[in-house]
Amino acid sequence: MLEFTCLIPLFTGIIAMFMPARLGRIILLVTAVLHLQLTVLGWFGKVTPSLPGYFAAPPDGLLVLLVTSFIFLFISVYAVFYMRETEMASEPHYIGATLFFLASMSMVALADHLVVLWIAIEATTLMSAPLIFLTRSKSALEATWKYVLICSVGIALALLGCFFIVMAMASNHLDVGITFSSLGQVAEQLDPVWLKAGFIFLVIGYGTKMGLAPMHTWLPDAHSEAPSPASALLSGALLNCAFLGIYRSHQLLYQAGLGDFSSRILIGFGLLSMLVAAIFMYNQTGYKRLLAYSSIENMGVIAFGIGIGGLATYGAMLHLIHHSLIKSALFLSSGNILLGYGSKLINKTGNMAKLLPKTFALFMAGFAGISGFPPFGIFVSELLIIIGAFQQGNTISVTIFIFALILVFAGAARLVMRMCFGRNDEEILVPESYGRLLPPLGLLLSSVLLCVWLPDTLYEKILSAIATIGGGIHG
Amino acid sequence: MIVLSDFLLSLTLLSVLLSLASNRLMALVKIMAFQGIVVSLIPLVLEQHQDLAMGSILMLQVMILIKGFLIPGFIYMALTKIKIKREIEPIIGYHASVFAGLFFILLSAFITDRLDISLPGGQVLLMITAITTLAAGLFLLMSRRKAITQVIGYLMMENGIYLFGTALAKETHTQYLVEFGVLLDLLVGIMVMGIVLHNINSTFDDVDTALLGQLKD
Repeated sequence: MLEFTCLIPLFTGIIAMFMPARLGRIILLVTAVLHLQLTVLGWFGKVTPSLPGYFAAPPDGLLVLLVTSFIFLFISVYAVFYMRETEMASEPHYIGATLFFLASMSMVALADHLVVLWIAIEATTLMSAPLIFLTRSKSALEATWKYVLICSVGIALALLGCFFIVMAMASNHLDVGITFSSLGQVAEQLDPVWLKAGFIFLVIGYGTKMGLAPMHTWLPDAHSEAPSPASALLSGALLNCAFLGIYRSHQLLYQAGLGDFSSRILIGFGLLSMLVAAIFMYNQTGYKRLLAYSSIENMGVIAFGIGIGGLATYGAMLHLIHHSLIKSALFLSSGNILLGYGSKLINKTGNMAKLLPKTFALFMAGFAGISGFPPFGIFVSELLIIIGAFQQGNTISVTIFIFALILVFAGAARLVMRMCFGRNDEEILVPESYGRLLPPLGLLLSSVLLCVWLPDTLYEKILSAIATIGGGIHG
Repeated sequence: MIVLSDFLLSLTLLSVLLSLASNRLMALVKIMAFQGIVVSLIPLVLEQHQDLAMGSILMLQVMILIKGFLIPGFIYMALTKIKIKREIEPIIGYHASVFAGLFFILLSAFITDRLDISLPGGQVLLMITAITTLAAGLFLLMSRRKAITQVIGYLMMENGIYLFGTALAKETHTQYLVEFGVLLDLLVGIMVMGIVLHNINSTFDDVDTALLGQLKD
């Protein structure tokens, strides 16, 4: 019955579309709470998927589902206060679309069938496009057009990748269901040439969605044009879902004994994304775009960690969790900044330490977190990835990795300092309010908490998720 | 039967070249409708699918209906509604585009040759057509400025993927995989709807993505 994580938001989304906004907000919150409860039940195995062959609850899927559900709750609380204080355009549409979006992301997390996963990832594009277009401005239209077109091309190539994977099975006269779990069992008998070709197309296809360079071009526009709660959701939840598609394919290749091949591709894309993000962050003019490029960089970190293998996979999974928590907190506080200054440009902000002191504290803490300072979890995850890479003897790639991290930090720090302490004598348009401060604070605190105390169940889940690609805490 | 399938595949290749050369949007839509019908007919004439099940025949009709009539008709409607008929000014010129198309044919012949995979029933031409259509679709998508032409490029790319699926579907045909490509048509439909409903025409002077150039780094 774990499929209800998709069905509940779907139904409540339809209802919320036709309800007045005030009622819609309550529906949003209730759905978020219900979804989290159901996810936790699924996490402990109390609820299992009831359509085997299409859906399954592997540990990696549950991990992504839990992260999605957790940050969705915080983002919904923020969104409710955000909508109360601002005149958000077409509010029922926003609520409906976020709920549909949640439904499609839950479907991605639970999908086991190749095509179901593909459909679910296509659905995330369709469901999140209205969120980006919400303001109906000229630039929002452009961002949405880019998003839909580029991601559609990606999704089309991913379908080709699915064909190839099935061909890997068919050309050796195997006949099993086209699910990741049953393909994994016969992985060694699959045709390696078709499997490799399929993996390349899947990485390009889903990598477009995940924001891996050079297919990332839609991401900064979409993240900066969407309203802040939606950007937080895009960055914190959607990118993980796309990553899950790549992770599953990597798993399949590893099981087929082609782990080296897929690892090298992932390392390549990971490092390229980090470098590209670092270059574009250096002279960035908009702070939401800055955060979006930081997401590209972090997706690169995760791809790199998974590609390295061993201890680094554990680091990559931790990175996934902490990136979602911290980045969505950052996007939520960027929403406060946008309300306060009324502009997305870094030049128009400044002196945040005095004008918006509480948001300043959150934004600075988030920035420290995303840059890898303790006590935030990214410190641990990046450290583990670096140690893991050294253990594997990948000296050259880890050098590039560290170089890119330094570049990102140097580029972003300059801009963040300017936002926080630069000169600005203007009045603040919308003052801070606790409803819009506590959700990002909660997300940041959970990152700190998870850094100092990782619950055993989470630890075991991560270990069993990465065991399938040969990762582990002991290298 | 093989001859018939070769005939249809050649028609597809011709339609690809024609679409790269056409500068009138209306003509382009008609070419795409033609291509859609031909592409959907190809599984019927291929040797391996001679024992067509009832479900496949039904699927075939649905494919022809969607690829040949619904989507092109939808684009045609959009064109009449937003009133753009005038010639499109491409990023890459028409002669160069046709040349690129010919190059794609050569390239895909080369790739098919190099892949050296055991294709069922000697469908070398099918593979070549599939790769060419895919590549030309991507090319059209990237080398044209108008939003609607980009959608048409996407449609062509999707036809290529459908052909690919047909070329590869052997035993897999029982598992309904290629047919899910229809869902890509859904995306096309939504893109066209976006063009019509969200007044790209009134927001800009015409449906020209060159004007969609505000966001960049």
